[in-house]
Amino acid sequence: MAPEPSRLDLLQGTLDLLILRALRSEAMHGWAVSERIQQISQDVLQVNQGSLYPALHRLEHHGWIKAEWGVSELGRRARFYSLTASGRKQLEVEAENWSKLSDAIARVLRMA
Amino acid sequence: MAWTDYCLRLRALLFRRRMDEELDEELQFHLEMQARKNQRHELNPTEAKRQARLQFGSVARATEECREARGLSALETLVRDLRFALRMLARSPGFTTIALLTLALGIGANTVIFSAVYAVLLKPLPFKGSDRLVFILKKNPPRGWTRNPISPAEILAWRNQSGAFEDIAAYTQETCVLTGGREAEEDPCEVISSNLFPLLNMAPSRGRPFSAEEDKPQGSRFAILSYGLWRRRFAGDENVIGRALDVNGDSYTVVGVMPSNFSHLYASPFGELPELWLSGIGLSPTLAWNEYFGIGRLKPGISLGQAEAQMNIVSERIEPMNKDLKGWRAQLMTLRTNASGDTRPALLVLMGAVIFVLLIACANVANLLLARGSRRASEFALRNALGAGQSRIIRQLLTESLVLSLAGGVLGVLLASLGCKALVALAPPFLVKSAPGLAGGATDLRVLAFVLGAVIATTFFFGLAPALQSARPNVSETLKETGRSALQSPHSRRFRSALVVAEIALAMVLLIGAGLMVRTLAGLTRVDLGFNPENVLTLRVPLSGERYKEPQVRAQFWERVVSAVESLPGVGSASVSRGLPITGWVGQFFTILDDPNPPAGQVPAANYVVIGPDYFRTMEIPLRRGRSFDDRDTQSGERVVIVNEELARSYWPGQDPLGKQLQIGGQGPWRTVVGIARDVLSQGPDGGFNPEMYIPYQQFPWLMRGPTHLVVRTAAAVKPESLVRAVTQEIHRVDKNQPVADIATMEEIALEPMKQQRMVMVLLASFAGLALVLSALGIYGVLSYSFAQRTREIGLRLALGADRGSVLRLVVGSGARLAILGIVAGTATALILTRLMTGLLYGVRPADPVTFGVVTFVMAATSIFACYIPAHQAMRVDPVVALRHE
Repeated sequence: MAPEPSRLDLLQGTLDLLILRALRSEAMHGWAVSERIQQISQDVLQVNQGSLYPALHRLEHHGWIKAEWGVSELGRRARFYSLTASGRKQLEVEAENWSKLSDAIARVLRMA
Repeated sequence: MAWTDYCLRLRALLFRRRMDEELDEELQFHLEMQARKNQRHELNPTEAKRQARLQFGSVARATEECREARGLSALETLVRDLRFALRMLARSPGFTTIALLTLALGIGANTVIFSAVYAVLLKPLPFKGSDRLVFILKKNPPRGWTRNPISPAEILAWRNQSGAFEDIAAYTQETCVLTGGREAEEDPCEVISSNLFPLLNMAPSRGRPFSAEEDKPQGSRFAILSYGLWRRRFAGDENVIGRALDVNGDSYTVVGVMPSNFSHLYASPFGELPELWLSGIGLSPTLAWNEYFGIGRLKPGISLGQAEAQMNIVSERIEPMNKDLKGWRAQLMTLRTNASGDTRPALLVLMGAVIFVLLIACANVANLLLARGSRRASEFALRNALGAGQSRIIRQLLTESLVLSLAGGVLGVLLASLGCKALVALAPPFLVKSAPGLAGGATDLRVLAFVLGAVIATTFFFGLAPALQSARPNVSETLKETGRSALQSPHSRRFRSALVVAEIALAMVLLIGAGLMVRTLAGLTRVDLGFNPENVLTLRVPLSGERYKEPQVRAQFWERVVSAVESLPGVGSASVSRGLPITGWVGQFFTILDDPNPPAGQVPAANYVVIGPDYFRTMEIPLRRGRSFDDRDTQSGERVVIVNEELARSYWPGQDPLGKQLQIGGQGPWRTVVGIARDVLSQGPDGGFNPEMYIPYQQFPWLMRGPTHLVVRTAAAVKPESLVRAVTQEIHRVDKNQPVADIATMEEIALEPMKQQRMVMVLLASFAGLALVLSALGIYGVLSYSFAQRTREIGLRLALGADRGSVLRLVVGSGARLAILGIVAGTATALILTRLMTGLLYGVRPADPVTFGVVTFVMAATSIFACYIPAHQAMRVDPVVALRHE
């Protein structure tokens, strides 16, 4: 087994942002979402797989993503999630909030 | 978020299983993908799967969290609450049955009475714009006469001169005998002005209405049939229009048939529903006969009061025209008021009574729920500890209450359909007439809306307090005390006692109301009618047709019928009359020889009764002085009259009336008073005694048609009903073409005016009985529950030497306290409320001490009886068991 890189636990609420971001370009199923997040963050961000699906369902209820059954690369039925119009808006809002927050935190850290 | 959220929630609710399966499939897919990835790291398949599971964590938990994310909809909560409520109710069938029955009776009674109130008082009449339609009568304030029919002179003057009406239509009621073709039949009918149907916005469904030309009394006559008559007598023949019809010996041409849904509610409720309408009303501006009814359409914006004022100006203007118009003023009422007759106060009293019954039912169920709530306290505490919020528990409990009251409502509506039938059977005929369809039960949507409203109100009345009580948790206390009986807080006990006091008070009011009605009815039946109604049969023979236009022929008919009937076995005596006691008053002016020119407006008037010999003997009306009519009083004999005591008192005070002379109707022969008869109630108990004059039918005057009724007194042991057949046969032996109508015993006729009071009495008594039982159950419930809780205390008292008598006193004492409070509160309330019943009472004051006394005694006795079982149980407590218990 490959040596584990050091991993960060996700902050409360950031998972939603990451999911929305991961789905921005294309529809994908749950497992692919978690893989995508891990890949992009170069394995720094580890999605807790158990909380991924409740988050997906929650986002679906908000109307930010929608789910459809499709055929996966394995030729099996899988649930594909894609971003809705209001999901796109939400992503912008949350991304902006996030950068404000991280900038602010970074500034505080630099000052100290 | 709202829309997708609701869609998904709805989907989750409807397709719960499919959603679960999909979720499962999704998660399995994830695990498989992970296992595949792991395999790439050169793990064997089994190990790869195991690692995938480990990486994922608890699938079950993820599933649960996904479900939570999906959320429970309000609807789903309701469904769960309902399911739970049903389970809880099914678990205590005793409680559920009692609560359900109580509510069903309360709601059912309300449904029945509200159906009647709605149908009789509230429902708009089926005539377009009926709010501007008024029924026109007149009153004579100086003489104290009201609700009098009007004359053509007034109708025309009011229509043309008052400026208050768009139009006024008129009709007069008659009895029509249809002959020709089929068997003769007698039907109530109306001669109407041609504008009546247009005024009501109704038209014949076949044929045409009358034209204004046809209002003239001369020329051809026309008839419009009711739907019922058309079906019955003409078998619904489409070619009936244009056919000839023999009515009262005259030939009429049928021009129309009214639709089946034509309502008769424009007519006076006391008349019979017409089957036939005739043309040729012939209103003349000089005719002052008071035989007509008017229906007017008010001009927009004119109120009843304004219209009356404007009409009275006209009345004053035309007074000098004819002495018969002296003193008369217009009396208007809406068609609805007219159709409802005098039922309004009775129905409102009953409506109040059923609301009381429902409140008592609610109090009782609330009490049951409170007792149950105390028993379930630990359940609620546990739920609370596990995270259920107060509002959640209240919602759950209210759902249980709603299930109860909805089920009660459904049962109530079912009961109400029986109740409506019973009500119709009890109700006076004019009430039934003014509320067609009442017998069908609660079918009107507005009635059902009322029931739904009652159900919801009921839910809160009985459900809210117990729910609040139960949801006010004291978790640690209650859980600690589980299994012990100190659950009933003093607060809750006080509340339950207050409910019982309120129940007793409400029941007291109902009992007193019922008691007053019982006294009223007793008073009414004890009233001295002035004659003996027992063993008297009456039949009406209208005697119509060409043959009977001759007075002599009519007289011969009656002579033959009376002598034939008198010889029947079982008959004591027989006679004839026009006008029976109780049934009403037909006023007729007369002139006294000693005082020929009384001031206008004070012309003597008396009830005018045409009778045969033996009438007084047959009715058992005592003759005070002088003689009865006999063979001397023929067409050629001296013209005679018998007056009653009231007439003698009024017009010859302090003089001997025998030998005095009077003239009827201002013309014709002078008649000599030959006898004085005892007063009889001519209009029922409310009308009191009125002046009356009796004329022998062999000397009948020009203006009346002579006798209409046969009266037969049977021998003491013979029931009058048993002679109907034989008497009818004798009549038909004389003339087989004469229909016999209105067969009734005099006792039935005497009961007729009491029907409304009897209905109110029967209903109030049933409601009061129900209330008494419910409040007794209430006392029983509270006492037996609170003393069951105090078993330990009683055991202790007994162990410390208290004797069983003192335990009895303790229990009965607490019951008595509730009863006394309730009785005092109820008496005070009744003193205020029974005043509203004054119009229904006869011979008894609203604050009748006898009624109040008896009811207090009944209530007290019932309360003590209700204490008996709990007291008995408390007395039998075994101190040893009680102290060890718990």
